[in-house]
Amino acid sequence: MFGPQAVVAEHFRTVSKTLIWILLCILAPAVGCTPRTKVMHDHQESTTQPASVLSGRLTVTGSSTVAPLVAEIAKRFEARHAGVRIDVQTGGSGKGIADARNGVADIGMASRRLKAGERDLVAHQIAADGVGLIVHRDNRVAELTAAEVVDVFTDRSNNWQEVRGLDLPITVVHKAEGRATLEVFLNHFSLANPQVRADVIVGDNQHGIKTVAGTPGAIGYVSIGAAEAAIAGGVPIRLLPIDGVAATSAQVAAGAYPLTRPLNLVTAGGLSPLARAFVTFCQSEDVHDTVVSQHFVPLAN
Amino acid sequence: MSRRTARIASVRERLTAALIWCVAVVVLGLLGWILVDVIVRGADGWSLSFLVAEPEDAGRAGGIGPIIISTFLVLAVTFAVSVPLSLATAIALTERADRAALDARLVRRCLDVLAAVPSIVLGLFGNAFFCVALGMGYSILAGGLTLACMVLPIMIRTTEQALAAVPDEYRLAAAGLGLNHTSTLFRVLLPAAAPAMAAGIVLGIGRALAETAVLIFTAGYVVRMPESLADSGRVMSVHIYDLAMNVPGGSAQAYTTATVLVVMLLLINTVAVALLRLAGFRHVAGGREA
Repeated sequence: MFGPQAVVAEHFRTVSKTLIWILLCILAPAVGCTPRTKVMHDHQESTTQPASVLSGRLTVTGSSTVAPLVAEIAKRFEARHAGVRIDVQTGGSGKGIADARNGVADIGMASRRLKAGERDLVAHQIAADGVGLIVHRDNRVAELTAAEVVDVFTDRSNNWQEVRGLDLPITVVHKAEGRATLEVFLNHFSLANPQVRADVIVGDNQHGIKTVAGTPGAIGYVSIGAAEAAIAGGVPIRLLPIDGVAATSAQVAAGAYPLTRPLNLVTAGGLSPLARAFVTFCQSEDVHDTVVSQHFVPLAN
Repeated sequence: MSRRTARIASVRERLTAALIWCVAVVVLGLLGWILVDVIVRGADGWSLSFLVAEPEDAGRAGGIGPIIISTFLVLAVTFAVSVPLSLATAIALTERADRAALDARLVRRCLDVLAAVPSIVLGLFGNAFFCVALGMGYSILAGGLTLACMVLPIMIRTTEQALAAVPDEYRLAAAGLGLNHTSTLFRVLLPAAAPAMAAGIVLGIGRALAETAVLIFTAGYVVRMPESLADSGRVMSVHIYDLAMNVPGGSAQAYTTATVLVVMLLLINTVAVALLRLAGFRHVAGGREA
């Protein structure tokens, strides 16, 4: 009779220990919360302080293409201004524009131009990015004309033979709805999304690159910076020139390449001194090295 | 004729056995393939400094120190909330006169529906409810609470089954000895059900560690070392997703992070199995003595 009770008592001790740990875990946030409240307080004060003493917290949300770049810039900005915290979140250009408009974020990020219905917002361009057509490295086609690109993407051409290539079926790799590169591509070739007959729908640039690299007959379009980085890393893809202009970062910087998109910070209405300082910093020459290291093209000042 | 039937039957038996073994080997092979693929590609960047350093150059260089801390903080919030809740709910569902009463069935049905909610939907809910409506913003707290909503059904159901599996004789014996409800619960039922409940928690940890969609919209994307639970913090699965999908040239570091995650999961599983064996052995011994 006493045997099981002893075992049960031991189990009970273990259970009590677990309960104490759980209590500790619940108490931890109460202790941890204090710094945040202080920072929030600073943020309210920062409007009355001179702009030279920057402190407070900024939330930046939006394009997953721009987010890694802005996160790096934010890290440098935080290093220069000790009291500043900049939280960068992702979710796509559409989310960045919506969050900036309804005030969920201080600054939005969008990897495209603002549309006609978004004129209530202000775009601050921080860099440029080119959209390039990519094919597999073993594909022998040197260049496609605009009409041929349209034929390929609307399934009027279904074999590389029809556009001076090998006898190989064409796999059209298209982006998912809402992607900024998709809008740049459709705009340039005057296509409407339902016209495109895609074989594969991909999400981000890396997804597109991996798909084309794994399919010898594939053609897709991705950010030139991402494609150049992949090619440098040995991924078997090739960028096609457009209208005779090579798809390179240098041509995007020179303004000669036609398929480009701006990388924007988006703001609504009056900016706090901190937000204005951060936007200015993002556009300054101090961050050009970061822009280049993230495979984008800095703005010529 | 009967011998022929017997031979056909024996051939059929062997064929079935062979088929079942084939399927088992395929499943094991798949697991092995994933493990070897991740570890071989990720082993290069593996070092102690990778585990403690901050990420540099959008994650292409540096380590994942703050990300590991954020991951553990999110898990701590998740289980600090979900373990007491699931325990209480499971007790309410099992330790009652009528386990199939209408309200209990309703709760179970609701839990099954909650378990079937796609994680991206939970992520959007967590963003709208915890981050915006309750004003938590992108924070480890919001991420942990949303994740708790996700693991609650699986944890309640395993705890409930663990309690229901305790033989009714234990309850009758406790009543016969004059123990009241609370004593029976804490001294007899919970210790007896502990191993199976621990298994439920391990399953929950596994799901929570693997979750990306819920956390990218709640705990967020910030790689800074978290200063409190109100800070946004990137967890390992979100980091892997971002490196693989948004950062050109980030896949090597994505594989290294994935290796850390897989090793962590294997460690948790191994420790849990060892603990279970220990606890299970004691339970069997105690039961036999009783």
